[in-house]
Amino acid sequence: MLAFTGFTNVRWGTEIDVFSGSRHESDAAEFETRGVTFAAYLA
Amino acid sequence: MECSVVPANLDREQLRASIQEKYTAVADTPELGFHFHTGRPLAAMLGYAAAEVDLLPRPAVESFAGTGNPFTMGRLRPGETVLDIGSGAGFDTLLAARQVGSSGRVIAVDMTEAMLGRTREGAQALGLANVEARLGYAEALPVQDRSIDVVISNGVINLTPDKVAVMEEIRRVLKPGGRIQIADIVVHLEVPQDARDDIELWSG
Repeated sequence: MLAFTGFTNVRWGTEIDVFSGSRHESDAAEFETRGVTFAAYLA
Repeated sequence: MECSVVPANLDREQLRASIQEKYTAVADTPELGFHFHTGRPLAAMLGYAAAEVDLLPRPAVESFAGTGNPFTMGRLRPGETVLDIGSGAGFDTLLAARQVGSSGRVIAVDMTEAMLGRTREGAQALGLANVEARLGYAEALPVQDRSIDVVISNGVINLTPDKVAVMEEIRRVLKPGGRIQIADIVVHLEVPQDARDDIELWSG
């Protein structure tokens, strides 16, 4: 999707489990959902 | 070239109302606990510097509910114009405003007026005159074409039903050569269609 919308030089950060261990766990943990940060430039 | 994204079959207005309700609760009663971490413990988990978090007003910190840290992709530069999409109570907006300084500015866009009010209060408390809070949706940003140096966002795009529309809006508002520093989520297991169509699961 990033390439489709015109972005290049994509960099990805480390994935972090931001759901497990929260007070009310949900399906987010069940689907192995992770937080991640990325950067890219508009071509 | 086509971008293939499986759409969800749900009522967008209902989804927006559900998300507004959930995140208003996060802002009003963060002590209740949710299906995600919040506040200072989450900020520490995501690598925000404690010294910078300490400077922020308590409401902005306590209701923080991001999925990453856009600033790990690089600090913002003095003078830059930044757009924070889905700014919530202003946690990242206020950090960004400090980084770009008085010669830069930050436009915070959120679909909830109550959240924008908290961002304005936070900016005022910190003496930041370079923050502007605007009501709007990620799919229809209230921002001029080619006016933004950097778009930041934190845990918001996953809550929008039309992600391609959001990215096209981001492309529209960025200056040529502009950049994005976005935190969101990735899912490693296939989410069944019935779960994709369940508004309750979108908002928690």
